[in-house]
Amino acid sequence: MMTETIYYIVCVVLSLLSLWGISMMSKVSSSVRGNLLLSFCLLAGTIVTLLYYGIVEVGTIYAFILVGSLIGAVLAYKVQMIQMPQTVAMLNGLGGLAGAIVGALTLIHIGVKETDYPVFVNVTATLAVVVGMVTFVGSMVAAGKLHRLLSQKPIIWKNHQLITIVLIIGSIASVVFAFLIGKDWGLLSDIYFILTCSFVFGSLFGLAFAIRVGGADMPITISLLTSLAGIAAAIAGMAIGDILVVSIGGIVGSSGLLLTQIMCRAMNRSLAVILAGKTSAEAAPIAPTTPSASSAPSAPEIPSAPEAAPEASLAHILRAAKRAIIVPGYGMALAQAQHQVRQLADKLESQGTDVRYAIHPVAGRMPGHMNVLLAEADVAYDQLYEIDSINDDFKETDLVVVIGANDVLNPAARDAEGTPIHGMPILNVDQARHIVICNFDRKPGYAGVPNPLYEMEKVTLLLGDAKETLAEVMREMNNSTAAPAETSSDPSFVTVAPDNTTDTSAILREAKRAIIVPGYGMALAQAQHQVRQLADSLERQGTEVRYAIHPVAGRMPGHMNVLLAEADVAYDQLYEIDSINDDFKETDLVVVIGANDVLNPAARDAEGTPIHGMPILNVDQARHIVICNFDRNPGYAGVPNPLYDMEKVTLMLGDAKESLAELLRMLN
Amino acid sequence: MNPIYLILIFLVSSFVGYLIIKNVPSLLHTPLMTGMNALAGVCLLGAVITVGYSYQAGGTGLVIGQIFGGLAVVLATVNVVAGFGVTHRMLKMFNPKKKNTKQ
Repeated sequence: MMTETIYYIVCVVLSLLSLWGISMMSKVSSSVRGNLLLSFCLLAGTIVTLLYYGIVEVGTIYAFILVGSLIGAVLAYKVQMIQMPQTVAMLNGLGGLAGAIVGALTLIHIGVKETDYPVFVNVTATLAVVVGMVTFVGSMVAAGKLHRLLSQKPIIWKNHQLITIVLIIGSIASVVFAFLIGKDWGLLSDIYFILTCSFVFGSLFGLAFAIRVGGADMPITISLLTSLAGIAAAIAGMAIGDILVVSIGGIVGSSGLLLTQIMCRAMNRSLAVILAGKTSAEAAPIAPTTPSASSAPSAPEIPSAPEAAPEASLAHILRAAKRAIIVPGYGMALAQAQHQVRQLADKLESQGTDVRYAIHPVAGRMPGHMNVLLAEADVAYDQLYEIDSINDDFKETDLVVVIGANDVLNPAARDAEGTPIHGMPILNVDQARHIVICNFDRKPGYAGVPNPLYEMEKVTLLLGDAKETLAEVMREMNNSTAAPAETSSDPSFVTVAPDNTTDTSAILREAKRAIIVPGYGMALAQAQHQVRQLADSLERQGTEVRYAIHPVAGRMPGHMNVLLAEADVAYDQLYEIDSINDDFKETDLVVVIGANDVLNPAARDAEGTPIHGMPILNVDQARHIVICNFDRNPGYAGVPNPLYDMEKVTLMLGDAKESLAELLRMLN
Repeated sequence: MNPIYLILIFLVSSFVGYLIIKNVPSLLHTPLMTGMNALAGVCLLGAVITVGYSYQAGGTGLVIGQIFGGLAVVLATVNVVAGFGVTHRMLKMFNPKKKNTKQ
C-alpha cells in the first residue's frame, strides 16, 4: 500500500503544514486560509493513515466518520456566538474522551498490533486514559458552568486540597502500576484494575480541578483544557505508535500551554496557583484594603434599572409613606435579615407610618417559614397578614418593601400563559404606589419567569445582600431627616439624575477622541450591536472611536474580539492593551461596557489584593468616563473599584443594552 | 516505532509550536484556540486505526473495538468538524473594511 519511507515523509510534511497553518492564523488576512489548511492536514492525515495501516476497506470507519461529520457540521452551523465558550469547552472534552478511549482499547489489546515495547505502550496508554478523562470531565464541568447548568461560583468541597492530592496520587499510581503489567504482582498488575483506577482517578481529578474554578478564571481554564486535549492526543499517539498524532498533539499541547500563560499573565495569576485551586474568589475577603474601599465600604446596590427613580426620591418616598407593607421571601431567610426588617418597620412606625407584613403561603422553604423568622425578630403576629386579607389593600399603599421575594409577587402569574407560575395566587404588590425591592439579583425566581416588576418605573431595585440593602434604606431615611440635601451628602451614589444627563450628553457630543472598553458584561447583555451603534453615532459627529481590548476581558481568550467582529466592527479599530494604554490620557471620553477588574486602578497600588500588579487599562487617565456596568459590586477579584467614586465618572447601572440605548438617546 | 523517536517528535513539535504561537495577536485568540481545539481531535487517526485493526482481527475484540473505537471516531470527528467549522465562521466575521461607507 504505502512504504514506510513515504509514510514518514508525508507525516513530516503534514506536521510542517499544520505548523504553517497555525502561523497563518496570526494574521486576519491569512487566518481563513490557515484554518482551511489545518482542516486539510487532518483530512489528509486520515487518508494517509487508512492507506498506511491497510484499513481502507473497513467500511464501518466511513460510517462512523460520516455520523461524526454530520453532527459536527450541524453543531458548527447552529451554535450562536454567545455560546462559543461552552461550545469550545464541550468539543474539547469530546477530543479528550476519544483519546481516553483509544488509550483504553490499546491497554486491553483491542485494535492494536503486537509491539516490541510493551511497557512503553502500557504506560502511555494508561497515561492517555488519565489525561483524556481529566480533559473530558474538566471540559464538561467548564462547559456546564459556562452554560449556567452549574454555578458559576467556585464550588469548594470540604478538604478540597486533600481530595485533589489524593486523586493526583491515585492517578500517578495507576500509571506506575502500568509498569507492572505482565509481571506477577497480583491485582496491581491486572490490566482491568489499572484501567479502572486510571479511569476513576482521572475523571474525579478532572471534576475536582474544574469545579472550583470560578467564572472569571475560565479563559485560563479553557486554554489549559485545550492544551490538555492536545497532550492527551499526543500520549494516545505514543501508545499506538502513530507519529502524526504525536506531533500534532504536541503542537496543540504546547501552544495551548502558551495561551494559558498569556491568560495567566493578563489575570495576574500563576498557573500553579490556579491548579492549586486558589481562585481569586477565595482571596476576596482581603479585598477592602484599597484606600477608597475604607471610605465607601462595599456599598450595596442602587437602582439598577436605568429608569428607576433617583436615590433622592427614595428617601422622600420612605419619609412620606403613610401606609407601608413589607413582603418577605426566602431571600430574607437566606440573608438572615429579619432583624433588619424589624428595625426598618420600627423606624417607619416611629414616623407614623402604618406598617403591615404580607405573607404569601409559599414564601420560604417550608409552610409558615416567614412567620417563624419574623416572630424570631419579635414582630407582633397581628401585623402579619395572609394573602387574602391584605391583597386588596396594596392599591391604597404608598410603599411596599420586598425582601428577597420574587415568584410570589410576579405579575406575570396573572397573564403569562404557559409559564409554570401562570394562575398562581400572587401578592398584588404591583398595585402599590411605590415599591422598593431588596433582592439579591435581577434573575428570575425559582419558576424561571422574569419579573416585569423589575422594569417598572415606580420600583426601586436594591440589589445585593438584603442585610446591607436594608441598612442602606435605613441610612437613607436618617440622612433625609438630618440633611435635606441627601444625594450630595452621600457621594457613593451616582445615578443618571436629570441634571447629570445634560452633562453626559454634552460630553458625548463634544468628545474628539473616544475609546470603548468592552468586558464580560457586554457579552452577558449581548450588547455588542448597541456598542457598535454608539460607535457609529460618535463617528458620524466626527469623533475618533477606538476599542481597547484587555487580553482577559470575557470568558475565553479573544472573547471581545469575536463579539465585536460579530457586530461588524472593523478589527483595525480593536487595540491591544500595549498599543493603546498611553493614549488614554489624551482621550476625552471612555465608555466602559461591563468591565471592572481589567480597569481597576487599585491594581497599581493595592498591595495584597489579588489584582495587585495585574496589567490594567489606564481608563482612569481619560478626561471623562462613562461606565455601563450592571451593578457597583467589585469584579471577580473582589477588589472595590475606586473609579466608581471619581467625579469624572458617570455610572450607568443596569442592563448594558438599556444603558447604551440611553446613551444613544442622549447623543441624538 | 521506537519510543525514543516518539518522545523526540513530541518534544520537537511542542517546541516549534510554542515558538509559532507566540506571534498570534490577542485579536485572534479565540479562533486560534478553537482551531487548535479542532486539531486536538487528531486522535481521530488513532481511533480509526483501532476500528480498522479490530475489524480485521475479528474474534472477541471485534464488537468492543467497533463499539468503543467507533464511539471514539464519532466523538473525535465531531470535535474536528465542529471545531474547524466554528473557527471558519468566526474568522469570516472579522471584517477589515473601514466604516466610511455611511458618512
